[in-house]
Amino acid sequence: MTQTLGFIAGLLLLIALLVYTFWPENVFASQKEKTRLDYLLERKEQLNENLRDLNFEFRAGKYPEEDFQAQRVQLENETAQLSAEIESL
Amino acid sequence: MAAFGSFALLIALALAAYNLLAGALALRLIATGQPTAVSPERLADTARRAGIAGFWAVTAAAFALVWSVFTNDFSITYILEHSNRALPAAYKFSALWSGQEGSLLLWAWLLAAYGFVLRLTHKNDVKLYAYAGAILAGIQFFFLLLLNFAAPPFALLKGAVPDDGAGLNPLLQYPEMVIHPPMLYLGYVGFSVPFAFALGALMMRYPGEKWIRITRVWTMVTWLFLTCGVFLGMHWAYAVLGWGGYWSWDPVEIASLMPWLTGTAFLHSVMMQEKKGMMKSWNIWLIFSTFLLTILGTMLTRGGLVSSVHAFAESPIGYWFMVFMVIVLAVCIFTYILQYSHLKSERQIESVVSRESAFLFNNLVLIAACFVILWGALFPVLSEYFAGNKVTFDAAWYNRIAVPIGLFLLFLAGVGPLLPWRSTSLRSIRRNFVLPVVALWATVAVCLLAGVRPWHDGLFDQGRFYALVAFALAAGVLTAIGSEFLRGMLVIAKQSGRNLIWAKYQLIRRNTRRYGGYIVHVGVVIVVIGLAGAAFNRSAESEMALHDKLVIGPYTLECAGFTQDANANYDSEYALLDVSRGGKKLFQMTPEKRVYLASQQPQTMVAIHSTVTGWDLYVVYEGVNPDTGQPIIKAFLNPLVNWIWLGVLVMALGTLIALVPKQWSVNSGQ
Repeated sequence: MTQTLGFIAGLLLLIALLVYTFWPENVFASQKEKTRLDYLLERKEQLNENLRDLNFEFRAGKYPEEDFQAQRVQLENETAQLSAEIESL
Repeated sequence: MAAFGSFALLIALALAAYNLLAGALALRLIATGQPTAVSPERLADTARRAGIAGFWAVTAAAFALVWSVFTNDFSITYILEHSNRALPAAYKFSALWSGQEGSLLLWAWLLAAYGFVLRLTHKNDVKLYAYAGAILAGIQFFFLLLLNFAAPPFALLKGAVPDDGAGLNPLLQYPEMVIHPPMLYLGYVGFSVPFAFALGALMMRYPGEKWIRITRVWTMVTWLFLTCGVFLGMHWAYAVLGWGGYWSWDPVEIASLMPWLTGTAFLHSVMMQEKKGMMKSWNIWLIFSTFLLTILGTMLTRGGLVSSVHAFAESPIGYWFMVFMVIVLAVCIFTYILQYSHLKSERQIESVVSRESAFLFNNLVLIAACFVILWGALFPVLSEYFAGNKVTFDAAWYNRIAVPIGLFLLFLAGVGPLLPWRSTSLRSIRRNFVLPVVALWATVAVCLLAGVRPWHDGLFDQGRFYALVAFALAAGVLTAIGSEFLRGMLVIAKQSGRNLIWAKYQLIRRNTRRYGGYIVHVGVVIVVIGLAGAAFNRSAESEMALHDKLVIGPYTLECAGFTQDANANYDSEYALLDVSRGGKKLFQMTPEKRVYLASQQPQTMVAIHSTVTGWDLYVVYEGVNPDTGQPIIKAFLNPLVNWIWLGVLVMALGTLIALVPKQWSVNSGQ
């Protein structure tokens, strides 16, 4: 490929990429802020997952009864607090 | 093609600059809510599209270079220096990364490819991805600056164009070299993406931990590539360099290991943040450090600060990397200080004996290992700067430190999964640790009885001692992981009334991340067993005339002759060695010595015979003794080497499982 052909090919590439970049689109993704509610729902989902893990590990014999109960109460309290805040929103 | 390639690189540079500037401006306008003539969201979208367009521009440049290699365009200096007409087609691809300029182009292309995927999936979290996209564009801008001004791959030769090139470095003319560097680069370059997400999330004060879930997936993919790249490199070193080993603590090896260690630490500590909202600052700095270590490693090896057996040409681009690293570090520190209040942990560690503590210890040990290795890599530079003479550490120094650290990590890999979150009672410890401890001591007893003892010829042997500890810990860890699987399987089998195989499938499916992680740990254990085998390596060397014999372990090697061969790419000499055991001929080995015609460089081709039990008979034809005129044969008997390669496959399998989204099953007892 001669140098001239190379430049022509480069120019064509430039035009194609510029058209793609600046093509006037009317629909584009919105950059909305995450709300407090979104955040709380995510946290609640995580706490529920922690609770499921705890239950499963207890059934698998990894925790003695008293350790399990203590941890479950803690997690349930946290979940209840989150649920209350979610409802208030 | 040179003109087209250069033009494409210039376009890519302009697009990266636009992506960075327009992206940053749009995010600023959105954050401040200032009214503007052009919608900031539209501006952000053009920035994103510029990133995608940039990928095609870099792809065009990479295509131009590959095309030039295949069409033997020796008017391009890079092609002249790294290829020749007789080079086989597969190795013509390798020419792309065999030199400084080409490997930087590969780096830029992979970064553009990662950015391409990221920008196409931006709807996962538009704002976070916009930040990450702009940061990636900043990194891409740096590499394109290098490619356009400091290390242009399409520089033209001045004067008459020779008819043939100098050829590819013989060390790279090996099948693995077609996949090892791209794998390693995929890992190396890939850490830019978690870095971009982490920095972006910190800049925008991302609420919650969803960003870390997105980052974790990218980190796992990157980690998998880096792991495969590092081990492919080990296998290449083993099969090509001809010294009987696979790891020599070469600066390039160290450069790849450091980000692997911090990346591994991040993959563990990230769970603390996701589950407990802890270690936020730590995680941010782990990701920052991992990315900075990839840049530092590149600077050390590319800039000629430390010498390496397989470093690329020394050149002034080391200074470019130094400046870039300083800028990145300054941005990280500034952003961290500005957003520090956003990184407060939601809770503290409640007990020293808990899974949180195990993760913390694991992280501290991994970071300690990384710093020790970094110190070893930097010491020659520092000693030369401050004392005037370059002091380098040998492999024994690294092994003295790395082996105990590695064994402690193995111990933690066994302990961690057995500890519950938050705190552990004595009853719980007794309940969970009995079996692994029994397995550990039983293995010690079996090893001692089988002759694996920490002494040799009546003297304490540190290598054998560590091997014994490694085997014992491996048994303990495997039992711990096995008991974790079994407990879970029994729960599911009981709940569902199905068999254990179905229960195992369900168990993994319901928590792919945890059980995939355990499978990775099994892979690590297998690798460690393989590494421990090095304590029992044997070697023998002899000049061998026709029908001479060399005995190593149970094998006898008898010289059946020497022969020669030639093709368009190289001339070669072979030794024909009949291998027998107990007087029975088993097979023939043909270690080889090649001389590549274009470069006139010699290269050893090792002959390796591996057995199912993991013994490698490794034979090197070292050439002819100039004093006696006799061929020299060196043989090694290396136990358990195959376990290393098997372990990596298991690690890769575990990582792939961990990448599959989990699925809570109604029948799994949840």
